[in-house]
Amino acid sequence: MTRATARLLDHRLAYLGAAAAILATVVRSEAQDDSAFHEIETKYIFGFTIGSSVGLEGEKAFEPITVGRFGKRTGTYAATETVLEYEFTPNQYMQIELGPTVSYYNVHNVTDIADRSMASLNGFVGEFRYLVLDRGLSPFAVTFAAEPEWRSRDETTGEKVVNYELETRVEADAELIKNRLFLGLNLLYEPETTRADLGAWSNESTFGTSAALAFQIIPKVVVGAELWYLRHYEGLAFSTFTGDAVFLGPTFYWKISPKILVSAAWNTQVAGHETGSVSALNLMDFSRQRARLLLEFEF
Amino acid sequence: MRMAFAVLNPFAGVLVFVTTMLAFSASPHAQQPDAVAISVKGHHFQPAEIRAPANRPLILRVKNLDATPMEFESVSLRVEKVVAPGGEGVINIRPLAPGRYEFMDDFHQETRGTLIVQ
Repeated sequence: MTRATARLLDHRLAYLGAAAAILATVVRSEAQDDSAFHEIETKYIFGFTIGSSVGLEGEKAFEPITVGRFGKRTGTYAATETVLEYEFTPNQYMQIELGPTVSYYNVHNVTDIADRSMASLNGFVGEFRYLVLDRGLSPFAVTFAAEPEWRSRDETTGEKVVNYELETRVEADAELIKNRLFLGLNLLYEPETTRADLGAWSNESTFGTSAALAFQIIPKVVVGAELWYLRHYEGLAFSTFTGDAVFLGPTFYWKISPKILVSAAWNTQVAGHETGSVSALNLMDFSRQRARLLLEFEF
Repeated sequence: MRMAFAVLNPFAGVLVFVTTMLAFSASPHAQQPDAVAISVKGHHFQPAEIRAPANRPLILRVKNLDATPMEFESVSLRVEKVVAPGGEGVINIRPLAPGRYEFMDDFHQETRGTLIVQ
């Protein structure tokens, strides 16, 4: 067994242990008084996987959302993007989010990426979500989401570019145990086009699917785990496959007060493949780790 | 020109998506809504359990008889409305599938009730 394989196995055993601990907690907490648990919005309980909830009509909130990517094959790599988002729900079916993005890069001695340590106002993102299937009519609630984004710096390298990305998602969830256990499923298609200074446009796309379980362990606190499978292509429509990756990790949600919540997730790449490489992970198209931290302040 | 189209094309898709969303969201309900009244007194809903027919739009009139403001809120109904002391809030609710829908006063979270749709 190689050291890389042993390390991968260690990671998987650690996640299996974490999953077993969550399951044990689920079983123990069955004895708790269920009347203390009330309904919760599912949008932010699954980590990177987004739930179907579109908020409450008339609700307005400020949400700083930070996504960080950490670790390449060599050197030190950290890149984060924070969206300073204004979210509002104009009616009982749709939700709109808008805001500027701020990026931070700390890159040293990473193959094919120039060293960089900087923060920058990067671009602007919008998100439009529409609930197409309500729970009650079916066990699953389903929301379609479209998230166009413009960047002035490359998300991975920090180079000056013009980048347009359109993240589209199908967000589905089901309540497996009333007010307690939830299943979340996402389908992702994310085409983007990028032009470096005075260069030609280059297109790429990512396809992904995820499954997540989230359990309200004590009132207003939800813990869980999610699994993502991502495929990366050159071209907007799956033209040339360049590699895939599997991410696995824990999720956390806490409604701190009626108007404030926090949601966090940490994913580790547990398997991956780069076209033309025998590596156990895909660190060309994706990072070794990724994290998501969200705060919501309703007003 | 071709490249400009390639760049704009996904965003044209978003424009169509948003326009469609707004069109669906803005379409008026064909049915006349049913009206249900409820009040809050001593930080209790009166009655705590209300009923409404399924698959019909609903107008919920919430009277706040307390001396403090309340916020009617429901995750499953997807509505929230602040009602001033002595005031009345009018809440439009979409046609609902049969089931039990929790609601509460978000300012006094022990104040809870249920809408039973059948």
